Amino acid sequence: MTSKHVRATRHTKFIKNRFASRFLRSHLRMKRSDRFGGSQSNEGVRKRSTHRIKIAAYASMALAVGPSRTWSRALLFKLRNRARLQGVLRKRCLVSKKNKKKRVVRNKVIISREPSRTDTLRKLVPGGDSMDICCLLEETAHYIKCLATQVKVMQTIADQLLL
Amino acid sequence: MDPPLINETSFSAANPSSYTLNEIWPFPPPPPSSTRLGLRMDNLADPDGSLEESTLTDQSSGNGTRIRKTRDFSSEKDDSSKMVSTTTSANDLNDSNGKRRKISGSRSENNDSRAETEASSAANNKKAEQSSKPSELPKQDYIHVRARRGQATDSHSLAERARREKISERMNILQDLVPGCNKVIGKALVLDEIINYIQSLQCQVEFLSMKLEAVNSRMNTSPMTEHLHPKDLGAQPFVATGMISGPQPTREYVQGSQSEWLHMQVGGSFERAT
Repeated sequence: MTSKHVRATRHTKFIKNRFASRFLRSHLRMKRSDRFGGSQSNEGVRKRSTHRIKIAAYASMALAVGPSRTWSRALLFKLRNRARLQGVLRKRCLVSKKNKKKRVVRNKVIISREPSRTDTLRKLVPGGDSMDICCLLEETAHYIKCLATQVKVMQTIADQLLL
Repeated sequence: MDPPLINETSFSAANPSSYTLNEIWPFPPPPPSSTRLGLRMDNLADPDGSLEESTLTDQSSGNGTRIRKTRDFSSEKDDSSKMVSTTTSANDLNDSNGKRRKISGSRSENNDSRAETEASSAANNKKAEQSSKPSELPKQDYIHVRARRGQATDSHSLAERARREKISERMNILQDLVPGCNKVIGKALVLDEIINYIQSLQCQVEFLSMKLEAVNSRMNTSPMTEHLHPKDLGAQPFVATGMISGPQPTREYVQGSQSEWLHMQVGGSFERAT
């Protein structure tokens, strides 16, 4: 029991360090790009960079955990593919607006039932759609651990930068 | 050197019984031997490993009492070594073994497969008796399920019980992880707590990225006006903590992230360019 605990704490420390280094690196890169790209403090620009920082945080977390976990794999897949998908979707929207109506009609056919708590949890944990309940709970536990670590590290970085 | 070696090998090949007997005794997995004495010693030394050989030779010889003794011994050894026997299923297994011993020619596979564990161990015994393949099932295949008095012992119930135990164990782990979740009773409420906690953590990440962005912009734009910004930052946490309580912000994030992904793409291309 104690050895397990020690191993777990060591593991979280390892993940913490990796996440911190990755996140700081991407943060630095972003800062540099901002400096070169000119800095107007618009509302839109601020929102965009906030979102970029958040994405960087999630991506570095998933990279720090590595592909051993289902949620990190799903998160990385989502992060990599969504940018591409977004471009494709935008093109489609620009090209054809006639198909949009049909799609809307199709979407209305789908019966929406009240989402249970498990469904909510599935939505929250990345990659939770394709898991049974046992795996989902296990992944949730790990995800919670990693999120807590992430929050702690980001808090520390923010405090250090503010001082 | 060569002549004595040849003599020894020829000698051992000429009368194998004495040499093989002496060699068999210390080593647990013995080579196949056709003699009766070597067989009994095999059973005493390692019943699991040499089970199929012994039954094979017994069936070929066809001695009644000895067959029963060896089979009883082997079945007892199997049960005690694997520790997968519910109280009822163990009795059933012994009964079925007795019937099978009386029949011993054609075995019907109808009466067993009551429980998972019983079925697997019975299959093991059957295999050993048929002695067609020396396959012993690895111990990792067994799930240790113990049926208490009055609980159902068919395979579906056992599997369901194991699954429920697994789920409750993970729920306990989650309860330890989420603060303030130990006092909550009921799985639904625990799940609610977990969902709220995850949402609050994700909101915190969002808020912290906002904070970091503010710090960045402050450091980039105007290092002179540092004294003004802490007030803004002091105003921000209140808003963010107000957002944490409701489930709305994360959904907003999920929906809104799609529209903002273009910026991420632009940023990524920019990073690649630099």
